[in-house]
Amino acid sequence: MVQYLLEDSRVVDFVSHLQACKTVYAPHRKGTSSFAFAPVDDPTAVVLDYNRTLHSVKKYFLPPTETLLSFDLRTNEFTESEIVPCDAVFLGVHSYDLRAVHKLDHNFRQENPEKNYLRRREEAAFVGVSFEPDAFHFSGSVGIGSRDSSGFDVFLTRIAAGYILTAHTPVGQELVDGFVMPEYTGDLPVPPGFKQHIYVPQDKLSEVFEHSYRNDVWLETAEKCVGCGTCNLVCPTCYCFNVEDTVEITIDGGSRARTWDGCMLRSFTEVAGGEVFREESAARQRHRVYRKFKYISDRTGEPWCVGCGRCNQACTAGISIVSIVNRLVNDYDREVVETA
Amino acid sequence: MTNASRTPSAESRDLYLPVMAAITDIRKMTEFETLYEITLPGGAELGHQPGQFVEVSLFGMGEAPFSVSSSPTRKGSFEMGVRRVGMLTDVMDRMQLGEKIGVRGPFGNGVPVEKFKGKDVLIVAGGIGLVPMRSMINYVLDNRGDFDRLIICYGARSDGELLFTDELKMWADDPRVEFHVTVDHGSTAWTGHTGVITTLIPGLDLDMPQTRVLVCGPPVMYRFVLLALRSKGVAEENIYMSLERRMKCGVGKCGHCQINSSYVCQDGPVYHYPDLKGLQEAL
Repeated sequence: MVQYLLEDSRVVDFVSHLQACKTVYAPHRKGTSSFAFAPVDDPTAVVLDYNRTLHSVKKYFLPPTETLLSFDLRTNEFTESEIVPCDAVFLGVHSYDLRAVHKLDHNFRQENPEKNYLRRREEAAFVGVSFEPDAFHFSGSVGIGSRDSSGFDVFLTRIAAGYILTAHTPVGQELVDGFVMPEYTGDLPVPPGFKQHIYVPQDKLSEVFEHSYRNDVWLETAEKCVGCGTCNLVCPTCYCFNVEDTVEITIDGGSRARTWDGCMLRSFTEVAGGEVFREESAARQRHRVYRKFKYISDRTGEPWCVGCGRCNQACTAGISIVSIVNRLVNDYDREVVETA
Repeated sequence: MTNASRTPSAESRDLYLPVMAAITDIRKMTEFETLYEITLPGGAELGHQPGQFVEVSLFGMGEAPFSVSSSPTRKGSFEMGVRRVGMLTDVMDRMQLGEKIGVRGPFGNGVPVEKFKGKDVLIVAGGIGLVPMRSMINYVLDNRGDFDRLIICYGARSDGELLFTDELKMWADDPRVEFHVTVDHGSTAWTGHTGVITTLIPGLDLDMPQTRVLVCGPPVMYRFVLLALRSKGVAEENIYMSLERRMKCGVGKCGHCQINSSYVCQDGPVYHYPDLKGLQEAL
């Protein structure tokens, strides 16, 4: 595969080149220390050196609020909402976020393939960029390196002079066609290491979780958790949703929308009549972590956490999924392995 | 799992659009429960199995799961027994004949009727749990030759809360049905059995290897019924249970009905008891 050098001074031109092909979504500054994906208006506002965005690109394929249908209360009839595919380039996506998209692809394709998500998703092209792990990233522990280009159409690897650009698919080749760059023949510098790790081989995780259902960590975490659901909100692989109707002030009609929901909220399992099936916060802590490392993983053979570190960074109570998993691993080693 | 960027969606479907169906009969059963007959456009069959559920929606009020109460052997329409407990059911309570509701489904894993064929069928239904069980009861009655004994144990909190009272009388008078009913607290007019539903089980004359049991009731009921069945010597592999959860999407996506790793809308609501034993959150 040919490697090109995209010099820092030409990044803006490259963004403009992509814009000439398609709509481009890329990370932008949000406030003083945060980043968010947004449609590119001004190519100079795009930020490719960032730690993580507040939300992943999931928000474009599974929008926080998505109107499913509109209804007319006078006639009791409804109109289906149009699903508009994201025929766009997603520039500056980190490896863990694309891996999260692949996991959502699985969730929305299996058993009952869902038109809403899959239609939005099918035309999207991805231009990835490598990242420098900060104090929260741990994707290396779940098999996703900071320069992992798998699944990307085009990938940019950070070096001192700019980025090494490689096109990985015909779509990616088309995106870079006509943008002249020198070939890059130098070596790749050693990637920076991760600062956070889950200390367990992936094939042992299932066993660890088999043993951890009644671990004290769930109660201890529950004591700190305020139940805000932010960890669900920022997770790139969370896809649970609620469906609710809204009526316009004219009461002539309204709409039915699905909105993101979170298993950490008490109301999540509530049924008519008031029964709540996951009443204890500790049970909800466990459910979230088991969703990421056991329930789906047992069927797919891989963790459903991509190690982006968002839940840990966003948690006002400082709850870390890495600490929880490492605690479970330590307890498992002490209680099962050492006593065997 | 594929790493391909593009995901063909040709085979994907509209999962969330309802079919508008008419209310063609309304029968008030108690102060809180009403039986609705629903007819799909053109009298189309719902095509359900006993124990399955549908998502019902009223525009402006939202959508909620309801079990189908009629047997698939009764053609041309289907029935739902609805308890008035929330916003949606409050509005339903005021609806008139001919008005339309949105229906999606049927969803879920119903009663594996093949496993009950040629066997003694014992149905244990507590309270509103009779609503889905009535589908299986009438299925057995309409295919009477396919099954051996039909034993029904039904419990309600009081005689005023008994559902399907006309049918209860028919079952009590039907020589092909062994019908047992109890109420927790009987009125002065009540002359039948008094006590919780588990008090009916010790007195049953069961041919153990021949009996297949189907249980449905409020969450608190299951552990006591299971204990009573165990004392009676019923093998776990002969027990099936229908569970209630918040099935919001019905298609295994939204996450609300999950019991550990199992989606009730996909693997349930009717479970084989041995399959539930690994699910700590089930009872």
